[in-house]
Amino acid sequence: MKSRNVLITGASSPLGEGLIERLLNDYRVEKILAVCDEGCPLTLPENERLATFQIKMRKQRKLHNLLFGAARESQVDVLIHASKVFSTHREGAAVHRYNVETVRSILDFAERHPTIKRLVFWSGAEVYQVQRDLPSLMGEQHPLNMHSGAPQWIRDRVEADVMACTRMGLSHLQIVVLRMAEILAPGCGSQFFDYLQTPICFRPLGFDPMLNFLTIEDASSAIQRSIHAQEQGVFNIPGADTLPLSRAIDRWGRIGIPVPNTVAHYLYTMRRLLRRGDFRYGMNRRRFHFTGILDGRRAADILRYIPSHPIEWPVEFEGEK
Amino acid sequence: MALPPFIARYLGNQLMSKSLRSKLEQLHFRDAGHGYDAFGLHPSFISFGAGITRWPYEKYFRVVSTGHAHLPNEGAAILASNHSGNIPIDGMMLWHDVLRHTTPPRVVRGIADHFVPALPFIGTTFARGGMVGGSRGNVRSLLEAGELLMIFPEGTPGIIKPFKNRYKLQRFRVGHAELAIRHKVPIIPVGIVGAEEQLPSIFSSRRLGRMLGIEAVPIPIFPFPLPVRYHIYYGAPIEVYRDLRSEDADNPEIVARIAGQVQGEVAKLIQKGLKERKGIFV
Repeated sequence: MKSRNVLITGASSPLGEGLIERLLNDYRVEKILAVCDEGCPLTLPENERLATFQIKMRKQRKLHNLLFGAARESQVDVLIHASKVFSTHREGAAVHRYNVETVRSILDFAERHPTIKRLVFWSGAEVYQVQRDLPSLMGEQHPLNMHSGAPQWIRDRVEADVMACTRMGLSHLQIVVLRMAEILAPGCGSQFFDYLQTPICFRPLGFDPMLNFLTIEDASSAIQRSIHAQEQGVFNIPGADTLPLSRAIDRWGRIGIPVPNTVAHYLYTMRRLLRRGDFRYGMNRRRFHFTGILDGRRAADILRYIPSHPIEWPVEFEGEK
Repeated sequence: MALPPFIARYLGNQLMSKSLRSKLEQLHFRDAGHGYDAFGLHPSFISFGAGITRWPYEKYFRVVSTGHAHLPNEGAAILASNHSGNIPIDGMMLWHDVLRHTTPPRVVRGIADHFVPALPFIGTTFARGGMVGGSRGNVRSLLEAGELLMIFPEGTPGIIKPFKNRYKLQRFRVGHAELAIRHKVPIIPVGIVGAEEQLPSIFSSRRLGRMLGIEAVPIPIFPFPLPVRYHIYYGAPIEVYRDLRSEDADNPEIVARIAGQVQGEVAKLIQKGLKERKGIFV
């Protein structure tokens, strides 16, 4: 099998670190260029196969110089873009530039790059619309969340995802979009992780939808597989944990209290204002009412990805089975 | 709805007969990792459902069913039934009957109208018992997984029709026929007799229904269902895959013909049931 030289953006995030650790143990990957935004602390192991770079990701020129400088010299053939703004508090043009325009620039540069042949883009399940009349098991063709009232956090992600999808097949560049389930870990932009940070979790009265969560190990395994695969396309990457909202709260050792929807909305708005938490109830309202979990059959068939690392839940729940 | 599974199982075990309890120990389902399947089904809630529907099934509606040999013990199939009675007790009785008359017991997956998953408590409770929202994607996933589906092709117009139209089938929707052709699964026609008289309504209010987010709200004459006797007839499977190809699912004429054939078979079973029964309550 052909060896790969890989460039990873978002290397300072827990997913980036987990992925680099995995790729360092992969003999098919020769060189790794780890890129993170300026000011982000990098705690990567010293390794002769690993080179680190800190640049201002939203600056086109810096990105261009990196790709056509160090990346070209290192004969990088796979670019993994796993960098985005996670905070729901940060909004505006700068965030849009980071989340969307950076993807556009990366696509432009990669398409005319002499060595990059493959782009792996980290998208998420949040791009999908969850609705009562839509399938509970969401395939790759599931409708995207184009709701006009969706917050920028969602809109940016949908736009970046669609942009990557529309460029597939238009050049020599092979594009893989990985729509991953929510990674229930800190520093991965997980809304649910933030939701579980308080001892009491309010949830909508009368509803208990199924949720699916991914671990960093499974997410990095999926990216690793997409580096070596030959196919391009969109792939859903579900996790090994599928369980109802109430069970997830229990297993995290929290107390779940069902309250009417409007009360939950009000309480979480107050919490967001007072605690500066990232969880936005309005953004997750439908997900907290209706089941919408990823159907990973395509990834299983083509990438041979099967989730195999369940979450190590902090609390064992005796009455689970 | 956050009844812990062990409480649901305990209650179910208290309410079920010993034979049904031991039968349900053989229940198979596709565990997605935490004891639930991807759509929310949990075996403890199947026990709970079987327990709470036992008394109405055995004592109140005294269900009599025939043609169990047509129920497949494995593999995907669609049960297509008439729908009536203003509240979906017919679905519950059919669900319970299939559980009893299949070995190992099979949970028939009810395909509900879009408004059902949006109903607080009800949507979740039904999902734990195997119901899924009636989107094409859900049905496709279940058929590919080899599940047994329960579809009421008349939809809500069937259940809310006025008493004067009892046992007159409403126009069958064609989705079940299309899916059966595409996925090469048999359709088993089911005729249910008795449900029409359980809760006669004066009229159905569409305006009130719209306010509550459902199609219509029936205004019944009696405040509770009458103790009518249920008769369930399973017809011979319509094996659409024998003469048709998967691509024929895109041919509207063929799909409409198969849906019409299913409607005809259901109508025959109803007529047979009406002829055979000695009275509404006996």
